[in-house]
Amino acid sequence: MILKINNYLKRSTDSSKLAVFRICFGLMMLFSMVRFWSKDWIHTVYVLPKFHFKYYGFDWVQSLGPYTYVLFVICILCSILITIGMWYRLSIILFFLTFSYIELIEKTTYLNHYYFISLLSFLLIFLPANRSFSMDAFFSKKHYKEIPQWTVDCIKLLMLLVYFYAGLAKINSDWLLKALPLKIWLPSKYDIPLIGETLLQYEWVHYAMSWGGMLYDLIIPFLLLYRKTRGVGFALVLFFHAFTAILFPIGMFPYIMIISALIFFDGKTHEKIIALLKKIIHPLTSSFKKVTLETVTQFKYVRPKWILGTLVVFFLVQMAVPFRHVLYPSELFWAEEGYRFSWRVMLMEKIGYTNFKVVNKTTGNSFYVRNGDFLTDLQIKQMSFQPDMILEYAHYLGDHFKSQGHKNIGIYAESYVSLNGRSSQQFVDPEVDLLTQKESFRHKHWIKTFKDDIKGF
Amino acid sequence: MIKKVVLFSLISVSLLIGCSDDSDTTSSQTSTTVWEQKSQMLTNWVDNFIIPNYNNLSEKLSEIETLSTAFTSNPNQQSLELVRSAWIEAYKSWQYVEMFNVGPAEQSFYNLKMNIYPTTTEKIEALIASGEYASLDNSPYNSAQGFPALDYLLYGVASDDSSIIALYSSSPNYGSYLTEIINRMISNTNYVITEWDSYRERFISSVENTATSSANKMANDFIYYYEKGFRSNKIGIPIGVFSNGSQFPEKVEAYYNQNISGILALEAINAIKTFFDGNGSYSLKQFIDNFATDELANLSSDISAQFSLVQSNIEALDSNFANQINNGLNQINVTYDNIQTGTVMLKTDMLTVLQIATDYVDADGD
Repeated sequence: MILKINNYLKRSTDSSKLAVFRICFGLMMLFSMVRFWSKDWIHTVYVLPKFHFKYYGFDWVQSLGPYTYVLFVICILCSILITIGMWYRLSIILFFLTFSYIELIEKTTYLNHYYFISLLSFLLIFLPANRSFSMDAFFSKKHYKEIPQWTVDCIKLLMLLVYFYAGLAKINSDWLLKALPLKIWLPSKYDIPLIGETLLQYEWVHYAMSWGGMLYDLIIPFLLLYRKTRGVGFALVLFFHAFTAILFPIGMFPYIMIISALIFFDGKTHEKIIALLKKIIHPLTSSFKKVTLETVTQFKYVRPKWILGTLVVFFLVQMAVPFRHVLYPSELFWAEEGYRFSWRVMLMEKIGYTNFKVVNKTTGNSFYVRNGDFLTDLQIKQMSFQPDMILEYAHYLGDHFKSQGHKNIGIYAESYVSLNGRSSQQFVDPEVDLLTQKESFRHKHWIKTFKDDIKGF
Repeated sequence: MIKKVVLFSLISVSLLIGCSDDSDTTSSQTSTTVWEQKSQMLTNWVDNFIIPNYNNLSEKLSEIETLSTAFTSNPNQQSLELVRSAWIEAYKSWQYVEMFNVGPAEQSFYNLKMNIYPTTTEKIEALIASGEYASLDNSPYNSAQGFPALDYLLYGVASDDSSIIALYSSSPNYGSYLTEIINRMISNTNYVITEWDSYRERFISSVENTATSSANKMANDFIYYYEKGFRSNKIGIPIGVFSNGSQFPEKVEAYYNQNISGILALEAINAIKTFFDGNGSYSLKQFIDNFATDELANLSSDISAQFSLVQSNIEALDSNFANQINNGLNQINVTYDNIQTGTVMLKTDMLTVLQIATDYVDADGD
């Protein structure tokens, strides 16, 4: 067994695979950050709000106000450096830190694919992606033809985990047996040409897309892994992600997944891509003095055991985290305890309406808070159906009103949520003073029980 | 390879569309396309609600103008009663228009110039004294004009009717201001009506499901009016929902008149009900019926029933809300709670069915 593992670790593969991945990753990130900036979302999400929702344990992450733009500039510069493979180790670490920091500032913009980018950039810190076709290789005058197979397999494993868990998450009674929430979303896309008024309105299509989506997620990593099915697999990748990009406002996610799927292809394909890229940038580089690079056959890690150890822990954590919801007695989709960081993508149509009552416990007088005085529209929308945000906001309100001189106050939430087309139900116990409740990993008993059952993973 | 994928997709899609049965659709209850249904809804809104209601208001405002001219040239009890009645009728017809904060009304901040209350009497008195009215163009003076200003000018400007008549007889400044306010209300309304002539086409043709399309804006405005204009302004704020144990009876609509706040609220809930139902043609009710999930199949009738409940609550209240607040707070609190139940249905269940597009940031259904 140990022998087999050792032999596997000794296997090598074409270095162009990681080079292409690095270039694509850098360009995707560059485009993604610039797009975010161009839509003025830096302002509306990070600068405008007076209050930011933080992740548990990350309260110390400060919003930088207008200096958030500086963070984005750093991130963008790093993505350029990553693309050209210059000062790679530094730039990928810096990219990981700044990107993750940006995400940690505001919980209401949590997106699974931002989490994916953080994980991927963390992974890339440990991989030799700058050893060929990069400025680092150019300056060091060494070009490595081969890298350990396991470095490329790491990325494949991450992709497999994302897809597989996403597929697993779709095995639930709402998704498969009721075609929810697609049954709600697809008919509202009536303005898409050709299929909007036809296919998207048919109930059987809602079911077909639900089941198809689930099967796609579960099967696609395996189709991509094996050479014989790779072509079909990639065609499906193109089709599936292009289709979802047209249907839903999911931003960069489809394109990131399409480009990342290239990692599954063989060395020859990647060499062809590199050749193409060389042709494209030839006009730029032809003026450079020709430097001969020493071609070294294989890249070897200096201290492989540390790297491997870290990565093993990394993947074990990634495999375990999506299952943590089984530790909670609540309905997963309703109370969302253990919902994030599990690749549960596009599974819920959930709308909440949550108001907060501040009660003076001495006099019995009370007043309702106008959420618009404290939160942006996006924040209100997200807060109203996510209990951890309701709790955090309640404490923020408590601090605010206490600082204004109110004494001995309690804060109570009147909250109603509609989930996947069900009638709205009361979400939070209105008799519980949220100021007495603390955030923790423990179950929040003040979330009302869901009056239904959604079975699944 | 990519060409093959594209070709394959186009062929399959065409086959699927061709071979499918129309009776399978969610919109098949009326066997018209979603696009057609939404167009119907928009056309109905414009031609049966928005434009007729604005025209009706305009007529009523002209009445006030005629009778106020008569009053200011000859102030007496009878001419005062006449102009007051005209004001009441116009205020009632205003209730059928306040929710339409789209297009011309939105661009010209029409609502803010017509019905900001409570009115700021100090500003009114200052302008009356100075005789200079240019400030009324600026937003800080929104609360010195419109229906609430007329309320003050016709009922609150002196302690009783004979004092009011005496005041208008002795100080022409009051008459000038009265005329000025009415003129502004008429020209603001005329602007909106004229603009709607050309805006109508744009409104009706914006059928796609984007954040700024007509149906989405109108649905949002309807909900906003229900929660803010109706619930908070008429009842919530005066009964002290936002103010820690204090009530503000002086903040009810038509405060100086001291009698019609309840009547105006009744007109408002009637306006809300008829707009939601569509008054015999396509509106939110039909849309919900056609697109609700099975669990929400009763939503439209639940909402209508809630509106009716609120209506009967208001009918049972003192038509002078200030009185009701001072002498029967509990009952009006119950009314508020019933309105709030309606708010929940509109902002969770109805929004689920309407699927109004927003464009805050990217989303992944999280």
